[in-house]
Amino acid sequence: MSEPVRIQIEDFSQDAEIAALKASSQRIGGIATFLGCARDFSEGRDVSEISFEAYGSMALAEMRALREEAIAKFELLDARIVHRVTTVRAGDNIVFIAAAAEHRAAAFDACRWMIDELKQRVPIWKKEITPHGDAWVTPHP
Amino acid sequence: MIRVLFFGPVADRVQTREMQFDFIPGMTLHDIIHKVGMQHPGALSIVSFIAVNRTQVRDKQMLLNDNDEIALMAKFSGG
Repeated sequence: MSEPVRIQIEDFSQDAEIAALKASSQRIGGIATFLGCARDFSEGRDVSEISFEAYGSMALAEMRALREEAIAKFELLDARIVHRVTTVRAGDNIVFIAAAAEHRAAAFDACRWMIDELKQRVPIWKKEITPHGDAWVTPHP
Repeated sequence: MIRVLFFGPVADRVQTREMQFDFIPGMTLHDIIHKVGMQHPGALSIVSFIAVNRTQVRDKQMLLNDNDEIALMAKFSGG
């Protein structure tokens, strides 16, 4: 079974991630997921590709800590976080987060919390490649 | 030896991904930031986070140890 927290170049399978979660416990009553994917338009400009860069060792450590914190804070049964670091095109998958809990409220809350925290805490940067040039993305709240 | 790592927008401004400085006992994080700033004055304006050995730090008077790894990082934009 794959690691629950990963940074990888290749695409991921949501079905495989959810299957791994379901295999971890039969007490799971709900799984909430977030899938981040690439848009072809941003800040009024066409976007051809998005290129990601990470401080890999710190990013992975921070994502692992984030998962552990989420499991403790929301009493999750399990959680998974996968982030791609490569160059993607419109529609491609970027990040997958899943929270498994006994009940839906904790799963929804934890999933939202994990993606919000990831954006604040995990050292990954994205550059948008447009027909008019490249630009590093300024984070949104 | 102190290694200073740069990523993304900061690496673009510094035009390198790594700099190295000789370790001097008693040197602080501020000393290293000052050295980088002297060489690349425009780079530090977008540095929002600093990590020492993969842990974020805020105290620039922090004493460094030989072989420490420092990262000067812009705001994150993953996800």
